[in-house]
Amino acid sequence: MNELMPIFIRMITTSNIVLVMYLGLCPFFGVSKKLGPAISMGIAVTLVMIIASVATWLIHDYILMQFDVMYMYIVLFILVISSLVQMVEMTIKRTNATLFNALGIYLPLITTNCAILGLTFLNIREEYTMLQSIVNGLGAGIGFGIALILMSSIRVKLEIADVPKSMRGLPIAYIGATILALIFVFTFGGIV
Amino acid sequence: MKVKALSELYPILAVTVVVFISVALLGGLDSVTRDMIEYQKELKVQRMLNEIFPDMTSYTSEGDIYIISADGTEIGFAFLAVGKGYGGDIDILVGLEDETTLKGIAVIAHAETPGLGDKILAPDFTDRFVGVNIADVAVPDEGGKIDAITGSTISTKAVIDAVRTTAMEKVKELKD
Amino acid sequence: MTKFWKQFLSGIVISNPLFVLALGLCPALAVSVTVVNGIGMSVATAFVLLGSAIVVSSIKKFVPDIVRIPIFIVVIASFVTIADLTLKAYIPTLADSLGIFLPLIVVNCIIMGRAEAFSSKHPVHLAIADALGASVGFAIAMIIISFLRELLGTGQLTLKIAPYLDLHLFTLPVLGENPMALFILPPGAFLLIGLLLALFRWRGWMKSE
Repeated sequence: MNELMPIFIRMITTSNIVLVMYLGLCPFFGVSKKLGPAISMGIAVTLVMIIASVATWLIHDYILMQFDVMYMYIVLFILVISSLVQMVEMTIKRTNATLFNALGIYLPLITTNCAILGLTFLNIREEYTMLQSIVNGLGAGIGFGIALILMSSIRVKLEIADVPKSMRGLPIAYIGATILALIFVFTFGGIV
Repeated sequence: MKVKALSELYPILAVTVVVFISVALLGGLDSVTRDMIEYQKELKVQRMLNEIFPDMTSYTSEGDIYIISADGTEIGFAFLAVGKGYGGDIDILVGLEDETTLKGIAVIAHAETPGLGDKILAPDFTDRFVGVNIADVAVPDEGGKIDAITGSTISTKAVIDAVRTTAMEKVKELKD
Repeated sequence: MTKFWKQFLSGIVISNPLFVLALGLCPALAVSVTVVNGIGMSVATAFVLLGSAIVVSSIKKFVPDIVRIPIFIVVIASFVTIADLTLKAYIPTLADSLGIFLPLIVVNCIIMGRAEAFSSKHPVHLAIADALGASVGFAIAMIIISFLRELLGTGQLTLKIAPYLDLHLFTLPVLGENPMALFILPPGAFLLIGLLLALFRWRGWMKSE
């Protein structure tokens, strides 16, 4: 199953990064209250995932394997990812103010996030090529974005619904996630 | 001047020192654990092969095909097949007695639905492959001898198809 | 000494990282499919929490503010790597079950959060108390969640001690035959957490929004 299309489709559906693989839950629940931020976050995550996939793949092949220091993978990956994202954030801040307001403010939330790092670990575990890693990241990011958009539509309705006091906010959001997860796990089965 | 430069340099120095210590410490741990980790991986493969070939005493690998021996004589081959299951990839270890007959299979990894798709793990299903001719590895509707499990047709068919196609592939490889 | 105990206890109940602060949920939900996993993950997380708390608190005087985050990251990542290598070498079954979530401990918000908010600002013995409290709180939460998930999802409780060596503890009467497999899957995990969080709020142990 190492052709590109299956990887892409799988990451969005049956292996959806947040609803099936449990990655990226913190930002998922943190940014899914409204549609606008949800879309921005989805785009930001996809962007970072692609950058991270490329960077970590290069590190893996040209540093870790080359110098036989595979054990440094955790330290190096996370340092590189956080530095890169900070640089991207600063570049956006200086070049395009509107883009920064739309996208940039979400970048810090993504840096030390299990979704990005988790994806890079997956790339390593599956022994993907550079291209496969990029597609994996793209699919994961889009999957995250779709889940986020769906979640925000649910949460917007929940805000005005009559929810018991103890369920308000996070708990009822998790119930919403339950339904989304049910859909993703069971309807998309066997697609790829 | 020197003092100012030093105080500006200090943060970078601090980071460098910390990274150095980290690399040294982890490198040391790596040299201690590396062999053990390799050994554990070997052990895992051995156990899986043993499941299908209980009489196995040793094995070697040629490319991605394992050649199983018992007391010096070759008793079969094994290789990995990957099926497209309901929830994702299904990793199957396939054992061949010779170039036409299956010794058995073992499902190593899967993402199938517990209670439904994961019935492919049960001996009830895997036993159906024992002693079967490679050409007969298919559902009865497609001219084969292996029944799918009702309620998890996608999972079982994935296993059946993967076993057959990969087996035929590997046998061809062996002949070359 | 009372300061120590106060800090320790707050980590378990008042500021329980999982149920109250809602931190570190990713690994918690992913791994809590069996009780063995839950315990294993808690121990690994506790090791990293304690180790990094001690180191961060000890070197805080030498760490310039500008680079404190990268240094904390390296410290935490190093401890995670130690846990990763050690488990892969000596308890590979656990390493396999935890999968990518073992190295992902490095981004567990609990650890970075405690390092930044507490360990870097308090003396070593208090940092230890804080780390221990959070670890125990996390462990209790993990065990509760995985206990419920394993019991409801498989109808039985089994401790996998070594490959092919399972210590089967008990099987529930009705659920043993027809377990609610849903709980082993993502939807069930989300449902359980949602209900547990609601429970905590309802009992006033956590503030509602």
